[in-house]
Amino acid sequence: MQLKARRNAKLREIGTPLAAATCALLGQAAPASVQAQELMPWDVDTSMLVYSESDGRVQDLSLNLRARKEMREEKFLDLSLTLDSLTGASPNGAAPAGVVQTFTNPSGNAQYSIASGEQVLDPSFLDTRTAVAANWEMPVGRLSLLSVGASLSDEFDYTHLGLNANLARDFNNRNTTLSFGVALANDSIDPVGGSPVGLAPMLGLGNNSNKRGDESKDVTDFLIGLTQVLNRHTIVQFNYSLSQSDGYLTDPYKVLSVVDPVTGNPVAGPAGSGLFRYLYESRPDSRDKQSLFGLLKRDFNGDVLEASYRYMTDDWGVDSHTVELRYRFNFGAARYLQPHVRFYQQTAADFYKTVMFAGAPLPAYASADHRLGEFDGVTLGLKYGQQTTRGSEWSARIEYYTQSGNASPGSAVGSLANLDLYPDLNALIAQFSYKFGRR
Amino acid sequence: MLSRRGSNWLGLFQAMASSCEVHVGDADRAIAERVAALAAAEAQRIEAKFSRYRRGNIIDTINTAGGRPIVVDDETARLLDYATRLHELSDGMFDITSGVLRRAWRFDGSDRVPSAEAVAALLPIVGWDKVSWRAPELTLPPGMEIDLGGIGKEYAVDSAAALVRPVSTQCLLNFGGDLLALGPQYGGAPWRVGVESVSDAGAVARHIELTIGALATSGDSRRFLLKDGKRYCHVLDPRSGWPVVGAPRSVTVAAATCTEAGMLATLALLQGADAEAFLEAQGAQFWALR
Repeated sequence: MQLKARRNAKLREIGTPLAAATCALLGQAAPASVQAQELMPWDVDTSMLVYSESDGRVQDLSLNLRARKEMREEKFLDLSLTLDSLTGASPNGAAPAGVVQTFTNPSGNAQYSIASGEQVLDPSFLDTRTAVAANWEMPVGRLSLLSVGASLSDEFDYTHLGLNANLARDFNNRNTTLSFGVALANDSIDPVGGSPVGLAPMLGLGNNSNKRGDESKDVTDFLIGLTQVLNRHTIVQFNYSLSQSDGYLTDPYKVLSVVDPVTGNPVAGPAGSGLFRYLYESRPDSRDKQSLFGLLKRDFNGDVLEASYRYMTDDWGVDSHTVELRYRFNFGAARYLQPHVRFYQQTAADFYKTVMFAGAPLPAYASADHRLGEFDGVTLGLKYGQQTTRGSEWSARIEYYTQSGNASPGSAVGSLANLDLYPDLNALIAQFSYKFGRR
Repeated sequence: MLSRRGSNWLGLFQAMASSCEVHVGDADRAIAERVAALAAAEAQRIEAKFSRYRRGNIIDTINTAGGRPIVVDDETARLLDYATRLHELSDGMFDITSGVLRRAWRFDGSDRVPSAEAVAALLPIVGWDKVSWRAPELTLPPGMEIDLGGIGKEYAVDSAAALVRPVSTQCLLNFGGDLLALGPQYGGAPWRVGVESVSDAGAVARHIELTIGALATSGDSRRFLLKDGKRYCHVLDPRSGWPVVGAPRSVTVAAATCTEAGMLATLALLQGADAEAFLEAQGAQFWALR
């Protein structure tokens, strides 16, 4: 009892007399107020994205978690984790035909059939991807910012390991920023059933004699960027980047149909296989891409316009143009609505073919992957974001993407003329994001 | 002395054995220069007047009076009144005459814990209750000394803030970790303040957003003795002459004035293991690191 009384005496309330005595010392009539709040140690961004292609094609559910912490003054650690779950059917590159077509799946232990006139989709597309990345950012001297990072991702048949570094330096009263970046990646590919020999024919059930083991590729990226503040309302940015890939750049699951050059009908495959003739695709073992990017960001009485253009060209013959516009309508400080539109156009790779003709000499490289063909893409989207009173922010985004190519190119001879050799691709993208922490 | 820090101005100077910073959010360089100059001059004035290391100032005059009464000026009188009030409110634990205990205790990270006799021998010259203080006249018994170092830095922040306020309120004064925001940054954004980790020098243990008001930190992160696995913190109980036991390594308190924040932090550490309970009883906003 005595002990308790003593404790209470020690912990007596002295706040009021202390405040009064302090006022007397400082000669202040009424004390000013205090408004202080501890920041959460981490800034956290979370998001869930659903990507859904029409006609039962690729479906992706992607979850992302990113956390950022100031470890020491102005030194930040950034960690991220992404989980992707991919399901659905993916085009295997073969052309549709006027007859039922049968294919051996990549593992060699099952087959699937595609009805006459239908787009050829491999239904066995299923994967989960886990990606982690860490980044460290720190000032160097008064005007430079260095960031270095590493990334790792793993899928059933694919492993990626990457390192990157970026140095940004401010000039001209911090109105100009020059940045230099380099990224190195080493990817290993261990295709289901093995990596097929380029332009070797698809074989029957249980025969993997045309498959080899693991493959790998190295990618080196360089970037030089310039950001310039033009005035209080306008910023422009220009980037030049160079990307060099070396190694296995082929898609091990993609084939090309071999058709009769007159009738356009599929021709017989290897004896005893029961299949038509399909050749596994083959791509060059190096690719150099260069791109130029320009961005204009301008504030109009609190609303923000972002317009950008990118030109990309590579030594495979693919040239592309991307124009993108975003306009952010800010409703007060806490809410915004942002429409988005994107136009994309690319030319085909030199070795892109919708089909190969029987009897013609085999080229060095060939692919019927629609992503290497000539096509246009349009994206339309809308994003809404809102800040909560506690300083966190959520946003929801919905986008629609449509892609179309040449459905009846010059190679559409005979029966192919009546078939859709480049079916449109439509996809819906929905994303929900929630940010909380210290911002 | 003045440089750009992001969109703010930063003035740096040394005073009271600390690095001092003045952050000014006003876009005008002339205003920032004026604010930094006022704050630096005030910090240096207070150091010159009240440092116990300076010869010839009021503290030196009092400490070398040899038992004679000394008449002090108004500002010193207010500080002595304040010290008297703190002595009462802390049941004698806050005591500006306790500095002589440092003759026995040197908190240099070593294991040199003084003998009980050495400490006991100093107790007769420790205790504000042994002093005769009746404004404006102070009489210290011979051998006793006063030291306002426990109040000085926080007081300097508040004094400088009062001088700066008519010039700009978009500023943050930070005198060696004791700091005060006169108002938010341009556009109403709070100031972001890092509290240093006690275990890892230079690492930030937490961040506090300060819109207006003061933050003061008391701690022993680098001032302690360690003997036979026992840690002796630098906060001494002047009644026994020995360190208080079980105090947090660091306490940061938010209050309207830096002096009030600093005194709450100091009084909390004197409560040892009850530091947090003490601050809760005061309804104070605080962050303790153990």
